[in-house]
Amino acid sequence: MLTFEPYGNPTYFALLGVALLPLMIGLLYGKRSRLYETLVSIFFLVLTFGGSKWTQGVALIIYILYEVVLTWGYAVYRRNHNSGPLFYLMVILAIAPLTIVKVTPAVENGQASLIGFLGVSYLTFRAVQTMMETRDGTLKNYNIMTFLQFMLFFPTISSGPIDRYRRFEADYRSVPDRDKYLGMLQKGIRYLFVGFMYKFILAYYFGTILMPKLQLMAMHSRGGFLDISWPLIGYMYCYSADLFFDFAGYSLFAVGTSYIMGIATPMNFNQPWRSPNIKDFWNRWHITLSFWFRDFIYMRLVFWFMKHRVFKKPTTTANVTYIINMLIMGFWHGVTWYYITYGLFHGVALVINDTWLRYKKKHRQSVPHNKFTQIFAIFLTANLVCFSFLIFSGILDKIWFLK
Amino acid sequence: MAKRLLRIFGPLILAAILVFAVLASPVTFGFKHISTTRERQAAVSLSPNVLRGKHIKEAALSDGYVPFFGSSEWSRIDPMHPSVLAQKYHRDYRPFLLGARGTQSLTQFFVMQNIQGQLRNKKAVFFVSPQWFVKGGTRKDAFGFYYSQLQTAEWLTHYRHDAIDQYAAKRLLQMPAAKSDHFIYAALQRVAAGKSLTKDQRFYLQTRKNMLTQEDQFFSGINLPSQNLSRVNRQAKKLPTHYSYSALDRLGGQLGKQATGNNPFQISDKFYNHGLKQEIKTGNLKDFQKNLSYLQSPEYSDFQLCLDQFARLHTDVLFIIPPINQRWQKYTGLSETMLKQFDQKIHYQLQSQGFNNIVDLSDKGNVPYFMTDTIHPGWRGWLAIDKRVDPFLTKKQAQPRYHTSDKFYEKQWQQLEPSQLSQYENNK
Repeated sequence: MLTFEPYGNPTYFALLGVALLPLMIGLLYGKRSRLYETLVSIFFLVLTFGGSKWTQGVALIIYILYEVVLTWGYAVYRRNHNSGPLFYLMVILAIAPLTIVKVTPAVENGQASLIGFLGVSYLTFRAVQTMMETRDGTLKNYNIMTFLQFMLFFPTISSGPIDRYRRFEADYRSVPDRDKYLGMLQKGIRYLFVGFMYKFILAYYFGTILMPKLQLMAMHSRGGFLDISWPLIGYMYCYSADLFFDFAGYSLFAVGTSYIMGIATPMNFNQPWRSPNIKDFWNRWHITLSFWFRDFIYMRLVFWFMKHRVFKKPTTTANVTYIINMLIMGFWHGVTWYYITYGLFHGVALVINDTWLRYKKKHRQSVPHNKFTQIFAIFLTANLVCFSFLIFSGILDKIWFLK
Repeated sequence: MAKRLLRIFGPLILAAILVFAVLASPVTFGFKHISTTRERQAAVSLSPNVLRGKHIKEAALSDGYVPFFGSSEWSRIDPMHPSVLAQKYHRDYRPFLLGARGTQSLTQFFVMQNIQGQLRNKKAVFFVSPQWFVKGGTRKDAFGFYYSQLQTAEWLTHYRHDAIDQYAAKRLLQMPAAKSDHFIYAALQRVAAGKSLTKDQRFYLQTRKNMLTQEDQFFSGINLPSQNLSRVNRQAKKLPTHYSYSALDRLGGQLGKQATGNNPFQISDKFYNHGLKQEIKTGNLKDFQKNLSYLQSPEYSDFQLCLDQFARLHTDVLFIIPPINQRWQKYTGLSETMLKQFDQKIHYQLQSQGFNNIVDLSDKGNVPYFMTDTIHPGWRGWLAIDKRVDPFLTKKQAQPRYHTSDKFYEKQWQQLEPSQLSQYENNK
């Protein structure tokens, strides 16, 4: 039985082209066949989670049923009631499988959890968000079939982008007019091709050809101050380039495929390397994840702190929340010292950034602002980010602690 | 709408057609030429890409390089390594090292498939490691790592309906790597069953072969590792300007003495420190090879594939049978009787079929500084090998007369106890 990494090889794209062709023709003539879309989705899900990876497939099915019961149950309950503690309990239950998957390797010597599967994080984000919007009352007409389509939308199942239930539903329930759809097709095809360049040329060069060499050199050049060496610095930039081109390439595939299916899945990257500060960076890097964290963790924590008057000053509230927010993101990546340090690093960077921006606002006259300072800001931000990715890469763990 | 659709999909369709046309066409696109530097690099690179490919090997072997088939020993590059000696003393041959850790007879049989033109009526060197002949034969993952669809496709476009290719197909079908292409897998099943390929299969294989050949031409030269070539150059500097066997033998002894000494096995310190030291401390290695046997193995039949291939191409081959570091062998409890019997069995397989150029060093395991580590030759060992390799390759040899037999593909041979060799010969 064949199994594929999503968007992993030419055969996958060939199959994608063949499967999407009838769908494209349908959409051009104003028709959307839900049955055909469902069949295509199932076909690609089986390709991703079938064959030798069937245990992941079983985990996926059980997980989906579990989340359906939770979200559907809560939606029915929410029609007439609104208890806080019950809502928290439901959210905790929804996150429980992901927590188990993330903690298992840390306590079981790196062994992966049995209930894990490719994309469990991204599905959890979607389920939790559905639940939270149900509580807010912004999501009123929860529908199991739509929820299933939303969760199992195959182009984005493995690693996002993280769409929103209501946005997805609006696209899914409607058919774009021909002119609009042609525009989407054009974008979709272009995204796929830029994705090819990112993932199969640039990420391959940085990640597969250059990175192992630099890693080996960095391991051999240990012994200096904190074992830092020129190859390690090279590795830092190389890893950052690989991380960006690999993930941005994948995201382009996912968004491009969605567009071809007439669904305008939101973009994940928007020229992150030209951000003038770290806050702006998070508005341009892995956008759907940072917006998810902003809307469902950061904002909610800030409101909660303000409602209960935990801190006197609003700036303190914001600062503490930044740190908590980024720490949670760190933990989400995995329970290792370097992911958590990475989260803490970005939390602190956001606090410093905010403080600096406030200072700058107050002292408009004395702080210069010109082309040079702008370029310097971009340079500084990019290097800071690369340094955070050096922590994130885990190579320091090998360099410092591997005998 | 049609116009707009054409604008969107036109470039895509054109690109697809162009890529397919370039890949599937049998024409070469000016990539035929390979510089001498690149050949020198590739010959000692031990890169799996070179081994799996065709283009670079083919060019180098037509250019004075001689194939040296083998495995991990080629990576033990010291001043007496065949590549270093050939370069330093301007021999009229240069070794093209084929094989690395984990390559065994079956891999080498497929490696030969797309350099047939360069093997026909030519000479070759073949290093036979006794360690290949373990109970399970070649490891499936190692075979998979060096597996080349290009070589398989090429073989399937010219395979013969005989016991040799039928055995090869059956053996390949046992490897997970054969499943990497479903059409090739189906074709292999027909070959194994003694049937001809269908017209569609032949067409597919031809197209696939063309595509893989083009890919190999475009990409196999990219990122060729160069560190081994620098190692060869560095080692060559340690050699005296003029060749003298006795002077080199002394030098080999000196170098060996300098490089060993922190362990009782006369294993190079570097190798010993790199992992072996820790293992020795645990005591687990004492007598751990007591029950190991090289006498019953499917490898004997895989090896026969290589012999048959050489016979088909009238290649004159020099076989090298290395010793095992005797101090190590005693420590690990590896049976000396078993090693002697292995030698008998492999000699029988070679000599009974007319392969008489054999450098048998199996009794040299106790010569000081002959081995660089546990099972690989170094310093004086390499020099002793060179003493036979050089004249074999530079002097005219009598045309070999091979008379191979399919009996070596039988389970009976794979499992035969060498003590029953004479009985076996009488019965056949």
